[in-house]
Amino acid sequence: MTITLWHFLAVAAALFGIGLVGFLTRRNLITMFLCAEMMLQGVAINFVAFARYHGNLQGQIFVLFILAVAACEAGVALALFLSLYRRRRSLDASDWQELRELGVPPAVDEEPLEVVKEEPLPTLTPAGARPIATPAPEEAARV
Amino acid sequence: MNLFALTKTQEAGGQIALAAALAVAGFFLLLPRPRGRVVSLGIASLIAAAAVFGAWVYNTFGQPLPDVVGSVLFWMFSAGALVFGAVLVAQKNPARGAIAFAFVILSTCGLFLLLAAPFLMAATIIIYAGAIIVTFLFVLMLSQAAGPSAENDRSREPLYGSFAGFAFVGLVLFTLYQTSLASAPAEPGEVATAGRLPAPVLTAEERKKLADAVAKLDGAAAQLDEFPASRAERNKRIEYFEAIKSEIVSVVGPPAREQAGQIGYGTLPERLEKPAAKAGQPAELYREDAQARAALDRAASVRNANFTTAELEKALNPDDPPKPAPPAKPNPDAVKEQARVLRNEVVLLYGMGELPANNVRNLGLVLYSEHLLAIELAGTLLLVAVIGAIAIAHRKREVPGEPSAGSQVQRGVAK
Repeated sequence: MTITLWHFLAVAAALFGIGLVGFLTRRNLITMFLCAEMMLQGVAINFVAFARYHGNLQGQIFVLFILAVAACEAGVALALFLSLYRRRRSLDASDWQELRELGVPPAVDEEPLEVVKEEPLPTLTPAGARPIATPAPEEAARV
Repeated sequence: MNLFALTKTQEAGGQIALAAALAVAGFFLLLPRPRGRVVSLGIASLIAAAAVFGAWVYNTFGQPLPDVVGSVLFWMFSAGALVFGAVLVAQKNPARGAIAFAFVILSTCGLFLLLAAPFLMAATIIIYAGAIIVTFLFVLMLSQAAGPSAENDRSREPLYGSFAGFAFVGLVLFTLYQTSLASAPAEPGEVATAGRLPAPVLTAEERKKLADAVAKLDGAAAQLDEFPASRAERNKRIEYFEAIKSEIVSVVGPPAREQAGQIGYGTLPERLEKPAAKAGQPAELYREDAQARAALDRAASVRNANFTTAELEKALNPDDPPKPAPPAKPNPDAVKEQARVLRNEVVLLYGMGELPANNVRNLGLVLYSEHLLAIELAGTLLLVAVIGAIAIAHRKREVPGEPSAGSQVQRGVAK
């Protein structure tokens, strides 16, 4: 008895589930996207395993189309993330929670983030004449 | 009476539930949060979940002993995919998550290779690990925040989220278990054949014979082009077709085997069918998989085509040559047509079970013959996606007097 179809199906289900957990819980848009791609990989394993089981190529063909769709999805998602990032300077999906449904209370982060103490930059004792400061033109943030 | 005796289904359900619960606990502890994240406990619980899951798969779906190399590779690749997937979900740093995702892709590609899909392996590595990951790393570099940030160090409902995911996995696994029970052997000693991934149906010798027959059938049209004048030429043509016929017969069996009632009928059915077959019923097979069935069906249609071709060709060669004008009915075009049909049938039989060897060629054949419209649609979709991505990411020129993107950015920062 060798490795059977069931083995591959079980692994694919577990991979899909891990991706689902990540998609539901993580808040970074890019991590969420990668988790969705991982769910697609689980589905792809299912397709290829069934193609092997039935001894034909239809499943593999389907995975090829999944690849094409995933590539499109990656391009569009990336462009969306860029334009979202330009507006809020953050990749946090919860920044956009004002788009939620009417009547749903907003999610509030209660616990504060831990503060990392930054080492103060070394300062040199000033020496010589102070230069005349000219205010630099403020530059718009660019991505 | 043993109060703790469980039925097999309850036992399986319990094990799946245990694995799912351990996984929920592990991810709950590991998902990034400002407080309450216990990495060591989470990893320990995830390892326990993986061990329970692996033991359950191993015990339920059979211990893969004979194919040592294949099973070692399978466990390695699947463990790699699951471990790096867990790292991607639980990792705070999204850049490291992307690298872990690349390893998930590599492991899945190993599984593809085990499933005889080398082209898909190469395509997936190129597209995912080569293109998608790299573009995402670019975006990550653009937007990397220093220090803790809300998007990387907080999770949305870690407990409910991981519970939902793993409840789903548990249910899928339980369904798998019940499906596998339905197709399991009734006797404990019997070898389970359901779910076995097929080995090639045709042997190398049979494939050689079939390829030879195809080459001869390709030349059959030239043989039929003109009516042979002399008896010797006619005999040569008859021999040519006889050779094709006997070559195909030696693999799939004689054309009219029910009438002949022979025992030795072709190596392919002999190898696959059990000898004690009742008349009128489909024969029992040594290996009950879809591929063997399909190969036998294909062999039957090859047999019929071979029979028809032989009949037509015989009608073309009347046995009494002195007859000055052959009857008008048996025209060579019909034989030619039938020979082409036979050739296509033999090619299809030849292609049975050669998924690993000629994967790319066969994939291309199926793709461009059966799924041509879908290919065109996928190409159009890619084009539209490129245009859409450019349109979305395009930085609009700021118009004076209107609230522009730049001012929104600054508002967002100020907030």
